[in-house]
Amino acid sequence: MTTPPNVPLEPHAVDPHAFDNPVTGASQLLDSAEEVHVGLTLDAVRPPSEEEILTVENLTVEFPTEDGLVHAVRGVSYTLREREVLGIVGESGSGKSVSSLAVMGLLPKSARVKGRILFRGDDMLKMSARRQRGLRGRKIAMVFQDPMTALNPVHTIGDQLAEAVLAHELMPRKTALARAKEMLDLVGIPQAEARLRSYPHEFSGGMRQRAMIAMAVINNPDVIIADEPTTALDVTVQAQILEKLLEVKDAVNAAIVLITHDLGVIAGMAHRVLVMYAGRPVELGDTDSVFEEPRMPYTAGLLGSIPSLDKGSGSARLRPIKGTPPSLINLPTGCPFSPRCPLATDVCRTEEPPLAETDGGGHYAACHHWDRLAAAEDPTEFFRTESETVA
Amino acid sequence: MIVFIMRRLVISFFVLLAATFIIYGLTALAGDPLEDLRQDNSPNKAQKIAERSERMQLDLPIPLRYLNWLGNLGRGYLGVNRDGQDVATMLADALSATLQLVLAATVLAITVGIVIGITSALRQYSGFDYTVTFAAFVCFSLPLFWVAVMLKQYMAIEFNNWLKDPVIPPTVIGVLALLGGLVFGALAVGERRRRLAAFGIGLLVSGTLFTVLSATRWFAAPGLGLPLILAFGLAAAVGFTALAAGLQYRGPLYAALGAAVIGALSSQVLKPLLVDPTWLEIGGLLLLTVAVCAGLGHALGGLQRRQAITATVLTGVFTGGMVFLDRMLQAFPAYSASVRGRPISTIGARTPNYVGDFWQTNLDSAGHLLLPSLALILISLATYTRYSRASMLEVMNQDYVRTARAKGLPERTVVVKHAFRNGLIPITTLMAFDFAGVIGGAVVTETVFGWRGMGFLFTKGLNEVDPGPVMAFFLVTGTAIVVCNMIADILYAYLDPRIRLS
Amino acid sequence: MTLSAQAPGPDTGAAQGMTIVARTQAQMVRRRFFRHRAALAGMIIFGFVLLLSFSSIGFLGIPGWWDKSYLATGALVNQGKPTLSVVPEFLGGSGIGLGEHPFGQDDIGVDYFAKTMRGAQQSIIVAFLVAIVATSVGTLIGAVAGYYRGKTESVLMRFTDVMITIPVLVIAAVIGRRFGDSGVVLLGTFIGLVIWPSMARLLRGEFLSLREKEFVEAARALGTPARRIIFRHILPNTVGVIIVAATLSVANAVLLESALSFLGLGVQAPDTSLGQLINEYRTAMVTRPWLFWWPGIFIIAIALSINFIGDGLRDAFDPRQTRVRA
Repeated sequence: MTTPPNVPLEPHAVDPHAFDNPVTGASQLLDSAEEVHVGLTLDAVRPPSEEEILTVENLTVEFPTEDGLVHAVRGVSYTLREREVLGIVGESGSGKSVSSLAVMGLLPKSARVKGRILFRGDDMLKMSARRQRGLRGRKIAMVFQDPMTALNPVHTIGDQLAEAVLAHELMPRKTALARAKEMLDLVGIPQAEARLRSYPHEFSGGMRQRAMIAMAVINNPDVIIADEPTTALDVTVQAQILEKLLEVKDAVNAAIVLITHDLGVIAGMAHRVLVMYAGRPVELGDTDSVFEEPRMPYTAGLLGSIPSLDKGSGSARLRPIKGTPPSLINLPTGCPFSPRCPLATDVCRTEEPPLAETDGGGHYAACHHWDRLAAAEDPTEFFRTESETVA
Repeated sequence: MIVFIMRRLVISFFVLLAATFIIYGLTALAGDPLEDLRQDNSPNKAQKIAERSERMQLDLPIPLRYLNWLGNLGRGYLGVNRDGQDVATMLADALSATLQLVLAATVLAITVGIVIGITSALRQYSGFDYTVTFAAFVCFSLPLFWVAVMLKQYMAIEFNNWLKDPVIPPTVIGVLALLGGLVFGALAVGERRRRLAAFGIGLLVSGTLFTVLSATRWFAAPGLGLPLILAFGLAAAVGFTALAAGLQYRGPLYAALGAAVIGALSSQVLKPLLVDPTWLEIGGLLLLTVAVCAGLGHALGGLQRRQAITATVLTGVFTGGMVFLDRMLQAFPAYSASVRGRPISTIGARTPNYVGDFWQTNLDSAGHLLLPSLALILISLATYTRYSRASMLEVMNQDYVRTARAKGLPERTVVVKHAFRNGLIPITTLMAFDFAGVIGGAVVTETVFGWRGMGFLFTKGLNEVDPGPVMAFFLVTGTAIVVCNMIADILYAYLDPRIRLS
Repeated sequence: MTLSAQAPGPDTGAAQGMTIVARTQAQMVRRRFFRHRAALAGMIIFGFVLLLSFSSIGFLGIPGWWDKSYLATGALVNQGKPTLSVVPEFLGGSGIGLGEHPFGQDDIGVDYFAKTMRGAQQSIIVAFLVAIVATSVGTLIGAVAGYYRGKTESVLMRFTDVMITIPVLVIAAVIGRRFGDSGVVLLGTFIGLVIWPSMARLLRGEFLSLREKEFVEAARALGTPARRIIFRHILPNTVGVIIVAATLSVANAVLLESALSFLGLGVQAPDTSLGQLINEYRTAMVTRPWLFWWPGIFIIAIALSINFIGDGLRDAFDPRQTRVRA
């Protein structure tokens, strides 16, 4: 594989450290980051166990709107093992955030959720509201995308951290505040004691996201869902936050569902990756395997549309995916990617392929023609632009 | 913060100064102040004209007259009206009446409006929400004076007639019960069965209530009595605890229930004191209640001390209010007899030369205040309802509310602590705006109900082209608006820590 | 009624403009407006009142289909009670028909239908004049203050503050007292000249935020003169806000005019307006309640329908709001 996957999909979110040297493997990506700051890599933290703690089965989410029914999530299934980091990538509107909000039970009332979400074997969709609330924040915690708006502006940081503890356990406020201070120390906020009395607006973006992480892990959760945790941050801060997330995860022994559109983040952070398109999972497998041997043209296209600083390589030019994602109200028949897919044939336009096992172990893809990708030398070559062909 | 307030005060002062000039000029230009005298046929017409011209300095150009007025104002003198009466004396009489009216209307509108608005937002798309929204639009579109005249006719005159024999006809009970059922049913959301059940309960409860009230001729000699005070107090204790602390822990609940029991019992112990108290004594009792309840909450609250204290104090004050109401109601038959059976008044701010004990004089004021404030709050009520609904809906969609839910906080905490506090912020700005509107409304209301208040001062002055009283009116209302703005700003800064720094 | 809500989820297609069919702004607005049932009803009611009041007794010398004048007295029919009947005969009523004096007659025998229609005409004219004048002045002042900022802004906004400090009814009353008897046109114009401040504040806020937008920066970088930027680039983007505020100010002006006339400070007899009618007959509440009811009903119908239209427009112009079929 020649295209380095260490740069994000969207140019504005590029992590400068990721440009330092072109790497091919996932684990090596953070090696480059290590040159800037001493930090953790995925290999350095405790490995996942085989025990499944979160299982999502055939999850569908629909929203009724005045323009029609929006099929935001159409049959997502995945499992999360203890201590594992599962990356979910996709464009905006691919259903990655909605599916994780469904796991948290945070969707608006109008949403229609179907399927099963099992936490340690218990279906959260069938639980009483009270039991579900008991899991939320205590067993499954969430870090949101925008730390600027996710913290309540009128309450102090200490208050917002302490109430996360008090929501699940009756204890003196002082004890809860002491725990909050501990957590701020853990996420690396200096002068934690004094910072408890600060308001969110007195924090920088990076500090706020640290506080959000502290809030997420304050009850030692088993699962942390991180929804684009670095997208809203300065590029210089992104790596620090991701590293902190990994460190904290190891400290509390949690698994992470990491949602992002930034392939570079996944490459350095996730054991396995789930690629979503138009509300459906289209590829699932070990991060290395998916990035090096994509079995779904969409994934290949994503990898090809990343700008590269790898000047020596011949395929350094961009190979963008043409077209735009389909409307989630009027989905095309067949494979939703077929209108944009260079490999599409008639069967793609009539029949939606299921997510099925491909050649590699534990590597799944939803494509009629995954074997053609497997046969190609460079999986991105199907997305070659016209100018490239002429040249 | 202090610098900020001082700066605002200085600016407001100059704004007010400029406004006085505009008002003075416009009033003086509004007509001919001698019009009535010119049509006068009495022999000393010329003398009268000369006298008034002299008094109003009509020989001077308007800007000079304004400066004279301003100079007098600087010395604390408000001048005389065109007939030579001292404006300051007139103002003093008018002020207390209008202040009562405006304050009562504003406080009621804010509290009731916010409660309805928030309920409506939390029950979005329910029957209640639709009804409130529609009612608010109707209120926006009602001419205040028209409502006032209607109220006068149906709420006062006919209600007083009915009080002579307070039996509710069965058809009216049926309609009221149906209304009660509809309100209950509209508040419930969810499946049809649940809504139907709520409707049934509402129907039954209100039907029974009005039948009993009618059969016992409650309206002729109203009152609550110890059992009802206790029942309301205990209900309030459960409600406030659920709101402030949740019901899963016992400490706060026991503290609040205790407060209700103590409150109800002490109404019996304090009977001699409550025969004819003064406002000072009532205030003292209020402070005592707060202190006792806070102590109770502190002692029984356990790990939820703060929430327990809030719930207990609220319960205590509520129970105290019930005792107060009970006393007022008990004084009703005597009061009603002393005003020849017409307790709901349509004219003036108080019965002239009325003498009675504490409860009766309060009833007298309440009876006079009732209809004008009812007319006056309609528009403000609609405004506050609409704004707090919109504000709450907006806030409930904010990311931090989602964060609060993600922490696993109970919905009660999410709404009360995270949404409500933020939702209040934009409403504070509304306060200042609305207050100006209420003052305008007071002018109209006073005219309909024959109050000799500020509005009367203003309209009379205006019709007589007499700047003195008009300016006195504006000085008070203008200052009140500025002060109200200031309070709104301070509240805003208190509610929003982001403002405190800058 | 606002049945609107925020877009359902953070990641749904609708929220991110993924719909295939692109619609123009005007089409979207029209589509959303006509879906607002209350607004539609408001429009029909207001249209009816407008048509009725202007066609019945005529306007500006053009005769209408109603043969009685709002000035001429006549013999009392049916003791002046309304002859309007809406209960059909087979239900025991006297049939559907207007009768001689559908709204009754006043104490000196003037046809009250004609009088109410005249009042409605005058009230509507004043209200629209007030709204037009206040909107133009407010827009201009707000736009200039918001665009130029600095000294211009301070001076204009302090002036606005002065005007806001004086309760609208008070200043309008002073104006009404002076111009109430010089015809509705003058009265409306002058009231409009005093109630613009809230409009100015609104527009200033809009301009403050829009002037920082990229397209304004771009226009400025191209050397576009300020006047052109204000009127060609920014103002069109505030059109929704202006239309909504203007509509709602019509409703407010109807109520303000009637309140003034009620205080005896607005339209003066022998000419009439809805508020003036109520003022004239408020003591007749018990003996001849219809004299009191008709003008009140018309005021409410006009104000309510315009308020609903305004609400519908607000929803239609607000792109953030997508209604959920829940």
